[in-house]
Amino acid sequence: MRNLAIRNLVIGTGIPVLLLVAWWFLSANSADPFFPPLETILLRFQELWLFDHFQSDVLLSLGNLFLGFAIAAVAGVALGFATALVPPVRWMIDPLIHFLRGIPPVALVPIFISLIGFGTQMRVTSIALAAFFPTMIATVDGIRSVSNDLMDVARVYRLSRKERVLNVLLPAAMPQIFSGLQVSLQVAFIVMIASEMLGSSQGIGAMTLLAQQSFMAADMWAGILLLGVIGFLVNILFGLLRGKVLSWYIGSRRLARAA
Amino acid sequence: MSIRQAPALTTHNRKSTMAQQPETRVSATTPRLHVAHLAKTYGSGGKARTVIEDLTFTVDAGEVVCIVGPSGVGKTTLLKCLAGLQPASSGTAAIDGRTISGPPPEMALVFQDYNRSLMPWLTVRKNLVLPLRHLKLPAAELKERCDSALAAVGLSHADNQYPWQLSGGMQQRVAIARALAYRPEILIMDEPFASVDAQTRFDLEDLCLKIRKDFNMTILVVTHDIDEAVYLADRVVVLGSRPARVLRVVEVDLPAPRDQITTRSLPEFARQRTDVLSLIKRPA
Amino acid sequence: MKVSIHPYALSAVGIAGALVIWQILSAANLAGNALPAATTVFATLASILGTGAFWSSLGATLGVALLALAVAAVAGVALGLLVGSFEPVRYATAAVLEFLKPVPPIVILPLAVLVLGPTAEMSFFLVVFGCLLPIVMQTVDGVQGADPVARDTARSYGMGEGEILARVVLPSAMPYIGTAMRVAAPAALVVTVVAGLLGGGPGLGQNIYQAQAAGDYASLYALVIVLGVLGLLFQAATRLAERRVLHWHESYREVVH
Repeated sequence: MRNLAIRNLVIGTGIPVLLLVAWWFLSANSADPFFPPLETILLRFQELWLFDHFQSDVLLSLGNLFLGFAIAAVAGVALGFATALVPPVRWMIDPLIHFLRGIPPVALVPIFISLIGFGTQMRVTSIALAAFFPTMIATVDGIRSVSNDLMDVARVYRLSRKERVLNVLLPAAMPQIFSGLQVSLQVAFIVMIASEMLGSSQGIGAMTLLAQQSFMAADMWAGILLLGVIGFLVNILFGLLRGKVLSWYIGSRRLARAA
Repeated sequence: MSIRQAPALTTHNRKSTMAQQPETRVSATTPRLHVAHLAKTYGSGGKARTVIEDLTFTVDAGEVVCIVGPSGVGKTTLLKCLAGLQPASSGTAAIDGRTISGPPPEMALVFQDYNRSLMPWLTVRKNLVLPLRHLKLPAAELKERCDSALAAVGLSHADNQYPWQLSGGMQQRVAIARALAYRPEILIMDEPFASVDAQTRFDLEDLCLKIRKDFNMTILVVTHDIDEAVYLADRVVVLGSRPARVLRVVEVDLPAPRDQITTRSLPEFARQRTDVLSLIKRPA
Repeated sequence: MKVSIHPYALSAVGIAGALVIWQILSAANLAGNALPAATTVFATLASILGTGAFWSSLGATLGVALLALAVAAVAGVALGLLVGSFEPVRYATAAVLEFLKPVPPIVILPLAVLVLGPTAEMSFFLVVFGCLLPIVMQTVDGVQGADPVARDTARSYGMGEGEILARVVLPSAMPYIGTAMRVAAPAALVVTVVAGLLGGGPGLGQNIYQAQAAGDYASLYALVIVLGVLGLLFQAATRLAERRVLHWHESYREVVH
């Protein structure tokens, strides 16, 4: 048992390290214009992002991402509640919502460019709108699946409408809301990159695409690397937040599975 | 004791409980809970399904009344009407002469399905606090109510745990504690001990009797277990099925205090349960 | 029943209301000519639908999306079975998979365009990259979720490893794979469009880019409407297919984490 665990640990950490080492050495003297040496890529990574373009581009991108996502999250949950709790609202906007979410989110970016221009406003708006739908739809589903028993308890104990919404429906729907938020975050990340790639000169996405168009492969790789790391880290941060907010849910699920 | 304005609550003095209880029962002219010709039909037209047809019974203050009947007879529907969760199709249910049209403030309900009636995201104590928040109690009283309710069900040690970390019987005790902390005058329980093991069931039954004694509550228990009904109740309302109607109200004359071993071995206990059983078993 | 208004009537009111607001906003000329009138857009849409160029673009988009989806599905399930069945492989790949999972294909779009150019191959590559990982990971989960009792039973009946894989493990992983496909199918369409829009790959995405660059806003809106309808059709089709394939499975899963 113990040997197996050690073996798994060795494999689990060894293989990724091995892959990186292999990349380093195999690319070491590469003259291929598409695949520059890893050393060059890392060097460019450090020159570009630490910290020459950190404030002007990295922080700008991340700021747009979080602002857009935050707007989408708040609006998605709020409108999800309105839609789930007021049937006429639901009947009125349901078909529209389903049509709009069928549109690939990135395809909305050209429309916003034509309406608002290339600025930060356009990027935040695109991110917020595209990221809005997954959260809203998940919120509606979450509220609809809250058990009637729980609502009966709330009514018998005469909780006020505000208490029923904030202290019963919201926490009960939270696991599904978080599933929606996770998708929204991914969409926000994609649209952040897309909105920068489509005709902007600032931001990580813009710099990466620009590097590709000027055949500066190492710069492009550095951009890809940074975007990959950001995608990974943002996801981890979200996981930590989820673990904190939904600790009751995760704990109860784990217990139920163990039983 | 309570800043809640309902005047009846001030009678909730534990010290006077023992003295008042027999008196209230004898002198009761208007019953605490009065169900008169209550009927409930779901749907309409050709699809109409009558679940309850013309139920009439009363529960006096301080009484424990059990409602028994075959499963699927519409007991839960009856409770939902009493708790104001569903309107009756015709007839009335009234507390102290006031018709119930929404959840009454002096009533608490313990649901059958404990694992779906507790909030899984709240600790045990916070589950107790949730229904009390809108009463705007002073912090000290809030704490005292929760402490004494948890102590009454023997769960003082578990107040920081989540319901899903507890056993079924403990979860049901949390649900009962939540009702106790709410200090209702009328406690209604829907098959409260149906999904716990036999030993826990006995403990919870005795807890129910202790609550009546300590808090002077009027208690209505729905059950399909005839022994349980006879053991707990001052009176047993026997329902016949489809649609539900009252077959008979059986007065249970067993000496107090009741005890799981001695009471259940009385010949009188056996006679009473046979009475009720034969009513239910009789072909409709 | 006091409600006399039928839900569908309200839905119609909602859609009509949105169209009217659109028409009014464009008439108010708030955004210059960037917001064409709804009537103009639908007229443009009708004329676009009559052109051969549109249908060949649509064909290119659907062709790339579906072919790449099929390749990703086959490769993803095969890889998933491999990773899920052998513990060492699972540990060896865990770190890489976990790192790549939250990285969307748009991140490597510049690389794909650099190497493959603005071609259908580039779009194809991106779609496979984007759809492969979710399918692999769900299949791994499915293999892990296969009832060990069923496995042992099969073994005690003398089934070989290959037979167990095909008869026990794969069927029990099907609901997971179905879930993955339901997510992957619309994603395939989205990535194809993104590859056209940002990378110049052939298809509707490229058309949208051209419409925007040329200031042909009526066509831009018309194409986005087409994509919306297409997205709905993709979702409906995968739902239907999943129900068809998995109707036998009682625990037909929902995507809830």
